[in-house]
Order: sequence, then structure tokens, then C-alpha cells
Amino acid sequence: MKYSGIFSKRAAAVALSAGLVALGAACGSSPGNGSAGSGSGSSDSITVAVAYPAPPAALLDQFTKQTGIKVNWVNIGWDNLQTKIAAAASANTYFADAADVDWSKVGEYQKTGWFYPLNQYFSPAGLQSDMPQLKTFVSNGQLIGLPFDSSFLVTTVNQKDFGKAGITTMPTTLAGWTADLKKVGTANGIASPLDIQFAAAEGLSTCWYQMTAAFGGSVLTAQDSPAFTSPSSPGYQALAWMVNAYKSGLVPAANINTTDYQGFTTEMAKNRVAAAMCDYSGSVASIYNVPSSSSVVNDVEYIPTPGAAGAGQNVANPDGIGIPKTARNVAGAVKFIKWFTETENQALWAGLKGSSDVVSTFPMPDRLTSFDLMIKANDVEQAAPLDAILKAHAQPPFPNGAPPWYVQFSAAVQTNIHEAAAGQETVAQAVSAIAAQVSSLKAAG
Amino acid sequence: MTAVAARPARRGRMFGGALPYILLSPLVVFIGALSFVPTVDTTVEAFFRVSPLNPPTQFTGLGNFRALFASSAVTGAWVNTAVYVVIGVTLSVVLGTVIALALRQRFRFRGIVLALVILPWALPAVVESVIWSWIYDPTFGVMNSALHSAHLIGGYHVWLGLDRWLTIGLIEIVQVWQITPLSAIVILAALQSVPLDLYEAARVDGAGAVQAFWRISLPMIRPALAVCTVEALILSLNIFDQVYILNGIAPLGSSVMLQTYLTTFQNLNFGGGYALSLLMTVATAVLSMAALALLYRRPEAALWRWRYEASGRRRRSARSRPGRSAGRWRAGPSGCSGGW
Repeated sequence: MKYSGIFSKRAAAVALSAGLVALGAACGSSPGNGSAGSGSGSSDSITVAVAYPAPPAALLDQFTKQTGIKVNWVNIGWDNLQTKIAAAASANTYFADAADVDWSKVGEYQKTGWFYPLNQYFSPAGLQSDMPQLKTFVSNGQLIGLPFDSSFLVTTVNQKDFGKAGITTMPTTLAGWTADLKKVGTANGIASPLDIQFAAAEGLSTCWYQMTAAFGGSVLTAQDSPAFTSPSSPGYQALAWMVNAYKSGLVPAANINTTDYQGFTTEMAKNRVAAAMCDYSGSVASIYNVPSSSSVVNDVEYIPTPGAAGAGQNVANPDGIGIPKTARNVAGAVKFIKWFTETENQALWAGLKGSSDVVSTFPMPDRLTSFDLMIKANDVEQAAPLDAILKAHAQPPFPNGAPPWYVQFSAAVQTNIHEAAAGQETVAQAVSAIAAQVSSLKAAG
Repeated sequence: MTAVAARPARRGRMFGGALPYILLSPLVVFIGALSFVPTVDTTVEAFFRVSPLNPPTQFTGLGNFRALFASSAVTGAWVNTAVYVVIGVTLSVVLGTVIALALRQRFRFRGIVLALVILPWALPAVVESVIWSWIYDPTFGVMNSALHSAHLIGGYHVWLGLDRWLTIGLIEIVQVWQITPLSAIVILAALQSVPLDLYEAARVDGAGAVQAFWRISLPMIRPALAVCTVEALILSLNIFDQVYILNGIAPLGSSVMLQTYLTTFQNLNFGGGYALSLLMTVATAVLSMAALALLYRRPEAALWRWRYEASGRRRRSARSRPGRSAGRWRAGPSGCSGGW
């Protein structure tokens, strides 16, 4: 009896512990409860997570006054932000009420259902004429996010450096571009005058799509098949051109570990290079003309991207904002998205009323009506040339939109181009590896 | 006395002997919820296809493991990680021992030096990696500048991302810089616990500093060396921050932990991530146990073996040199400084 009593007490204690464990585990993993809300959380504040600095506090205060909603702004680097969104969504955990929806993630988010379709709050048909890049955010009829900029890749040059080399008319072909860059380097004592990022990061993938567009094509077909395997294809030629630019010394050797933003801020803005391909639209205002951190103020301008046979296309990579399924304050997030993307505010972020309202690194407004405001206000920060490039040359990188498996595809692209530039594999091997990954991803569905 | 003795008896009746289990309950809850449950969950799900991009979840047997070993990125990462481990364990234990031996000596500002030595260990790995990324920076880095000033290199070099083994070596140096201080402190503590009379006896026996180190210090600090080895082994196997910050996701220096992260959160292949995590857990456990089995010896065992060998020498010595007392070996104060 004695042993039986002790046993039963021990068993009770163990059972109590096990119960607590199970309870703790259940609390930690219950889907849809507790942490994952559906608009029933705090109504007087929202958390916004994007890869941009916050608008000026005074403007955010205005939003709070208008709506009674306080904004908690979380600025996270682009690559890390994508991971956090995926981790939070797959764990069904609250992360933010409004979060970044990159153009490249639209297919993935539609398939996984991690974001609310916004069709009931915004009309794609009504907004399309003012937001030319809106269709990038529609997948299977669902509006996954609203673009909050009209970012597209551009080519920028330091016209002062080009002037020193006697170049006043900018080249429109890649052959002329290469020859002129060598002259610019010699005239200015810059050994490697061109910035292209080669770190294995998203910027390298996007740059390949841009260079492919400059060669007159796209890397994927309308059926999402590889369009870059033939050596005569634009994608193959673009990859070979990029790798050759690095190996021949046109691009600084240090760029093997340089990301896109690092290149703009530490090379182009410091005049260590004289030109940047795959630059951001908006960099002139938000990076190069910022006196506190740039030594090339008023020296840099946008030019049409040189192509294989004349000015090439520019790849559009707009950022959008959407509402995760785990958001606690959906109504507040909708109000914020409306405010954040409205015509005048978009122009303010880009410098309509001076630098005090500018959102640092903000490319260009999402709305054509915002461009109109800026052009009327005496062509704020080269709005007119950007407006012209946007209307004439900007195109989505993939004819069928970003596929759901875009992330894996991009990982293969960036790592293989990086390896080819580093001399770890040939261009042909890099192309084969990327093509094999596409086939594998398509086969897996 | 009676009242004092009665208290435990009352408490015992009140909880019926279950008090220890009740007190342990919070710990069981924490360990269970934070460690045991996720481990079981990971182990089970490693055999399933779990991907939000490819629902529903399905049993795949060894499918995840086969896919991992078919991936050149993953197999390359295992090789890289093995190199990280070899460099990390060797350098941190050897340097930790050297630093501990130096710090065992008495010198001015020893306390300050000790505090400075600990500093790298106290800093987060991310902070250290960012600092070292500046050191290695091909344009502004101290490394290029110093080597160029010393005429050891002709021009500025790109240190990371071009050569696989150089990249791995330089990344691991950052981790060694972080983990060596803890090894040094642990070994220093072990060295200070070695009785001084052993060194005095060895000196009397004619042993030099090197011999005393090999025959006394090293056997006596083997438990500490085992702990340091296992610590370095686990940290090197799990290297992530340094690789990610200094080399990004490039396969050139990728580690298994980085591949686990990419498989899980970039490719959203949770089943593959679980499988890789499980393999890493097994590898860590097996290697750690192997290291302990090889290195761990109780210091008393080393001491008795040494004393046995020393007494043999003394007997032989006494036979050849009559008049020398064997009793002197047990004499002498015990302390924690001086000697090797």
C-alpha cells in the first residue's frame, strides 16, 4: 500500500506536469486563436512592416489625428522582411497589420493565402488607369496588395564624370556604353567605373531580368518555361555580359559581395564609380542628392537604359502593401493603406514640398496623378524623365506575372550568377543550373 | 530540536512526498514545451512533405532526406561545415590553452587583461560579424590596409567570396575570435585547480616546464579541454550569423545551418528543413559524445597514474642515489598560481 500510495502521488505529480506541458504546447500552437486575430485586436494602433524608413513623424501624426490610429512603423531590410513574413504566416502568428507585398511575392501569397484579398476595399478596375503597375499585384483575380511606389530599374550616370571624358551624348547601345565607360574611367582615374551588384541577393536576380530586358527579352516565357538556355537568347547574352563586365574589371572586384543598396550608397554616391546599371528609380532624389551622405549632389541623372540595339526596356519592380491574415486591426490597416497611397501623400514622399517630407530611399509615386503634381511643381527631382521612362519603357519582368515558386527560382538565379562571376562555374553551367531548377519547380507544381 | 525535526514531517504529510515533483513541475513544463515537444514534432515531420506552397501535408518516408543528399548545395554545405568544425575546434582549444597559460602568470594589470579577453565572448555574433566585415572590406578594410602597409600584398584584395577555402577560413576566424575567450577562462580555472605540490615535485624530479605541462597540466585539465572541445564543436557545427553576414547566401561558404534556414524559410520547404535539422541534431550529439569519450578523463585518474609513475621513478632513483627521501613527494603547499 505504501508503495502504491507513493506511486499514485508521483503519478499524479507527473500527470500534472505533463498536463501543463500539453497546455503550454497547445497554447503555443493553436491556430487561429489568441495571437492570430481577424480584426478583433486593438483598434487604436497598427503596426506597419515595410522595407522603408517611416514618413516624417509630423505626417504620421496627421494620420493619427484624422483616424485616431497610432502607427507603429517597423523598417526591416528587404531580404530579412520576406523571411519574417513567411515565418510569421506559416506559424500563424501576429506580425503586423500592414506589411510589404513585393511584386515578386504576389503569386506565392495568393497560393498560400497568407494575405487578405483587397478587392472588397479597393477596386482594381477603378485604380488601374492611375496606377499603371497595379496589375502586377493581381493574381487569379485577387488583389493581394496595393503598390505604394512605381519602382523600376534605371541606369544612372555621373554626368560630370562623363563630361570630363568628353561624352555629352549618352550611348544607347551596350557596345557604345562599354566603350564610353572605359573612356570615363581613364579620364577620371576610376579603374572600374560601373556599379553592378554581384552579392548573392535579390538585387542580383533583378539585375539579370533588367539586363535581359535590355537585350530585348524576358527570362521566362508566358508558360513560365526558361527562355534563356540558347546562347543567342537575350537571357543568356545578358548573363554572359554581366559576368564578363565583372571579370574584365569594368565592375569593381569588391562588388562580388556588394548588394544593390550598398553599391548605390558606398560606390555611386561616393563617386567611386561613374555609372550604375540596375539602379532604383528615385535614387537621385533619395540617395545622390542628399548632401549629408553624398559627394555627387546634382551630378547624377537618369538615362534610358542602353540595350543590344538602342534603348532597352526597364524592368518594373514595384513595392506593394497588403494585410496579412494574422493582422489584428484590419480596418485600421485599410485606412492606413488608403492614406499611404493617396495622390498627394505619394508626391510628398517623393519631395513635392521639399526634403522635409521625403521618405528616404522612396523611388517614385505609384500614381500618374502624383507625377503630374510633381511635374507641375517645377519637375521635382527629375520627375519628367522618370514619368517618360515609366510610360514608355517600364514592363513587368515576367509576362505571366511572378510564379508562386519565384523565391526558389530567384535563389537559383542569384547563387549561380554569383558563382559564375566568382569563377566557380561557367556561364553555360550557371544557365543549365537555373534552367534545371525551373524544370524541377514546374514539375513540383 | 524536537520542533525543528517536526517541520519536515508536517510538510511531508501535507504534500505526501510529492513536493519535489511539484517544485520540478515548472522546469518540466519549460523543458517540455520549449525543447521536447518541438524535437518530437520536428522528428515526426521530417518524414512528411510540409510546404505551404504544395499542400496538403503528406507522408514521404525518406523522401526529404533523399532530396537533401541529392542537392549539391546541401552536400557542399556539409563539407564546408566540417571544415568550420576542424578549424574552430582546433584553433579555439589551442589558443584558449595558450591564453590560459599566459593568464595564469602574475603580472601587472592582469585583471584588466582578463576583462579584455572576455569581451569578444560577451558581444553578439552579429555585432562581431559586422565589425569583421569592415576589417575584411576590400575597399576600406583594415586588413588590406595593414597588409599593404607591411608590403605583404601588392594591391588590395577581395578576401571573401572568391576562394572557397580562404572564405571559410576567414569566416571561421571570426567565430574563433568569439568562442576562444570562454575556452581560455574554463581552461584557466582548471589550471588554477591543479595542486602546486605536483609541480614542485616534478621540478625536484628534474622535469622542465614543457615536461610539466605535458605530464601534469595537460592530464589534469582534460575535463576542461573536453568541455571546451564540445562547446567549440557545437558552435562550429551551428555556425550561421558569421556566414550569413560575411558571405550572404552564396554556396561558396554556406553552412548546414544556413541551408536549413534557406530550405525552411526561403524555399518554404518545411519538411526538408525539419529533416536537415534532425540530421544536424544527430551529428551534433554523436560528435559531442565521441569528443567526450575521447577526451574526458577524471583528473584524479591522471593524478594517480602520474603518482604511480613518479613513485616508480623515485624507487629507481633511490636505488641509484642512496639517501634521497621518497617522502618529499607528498609535501608542499597547494595553490593556484605558479608552475605550468
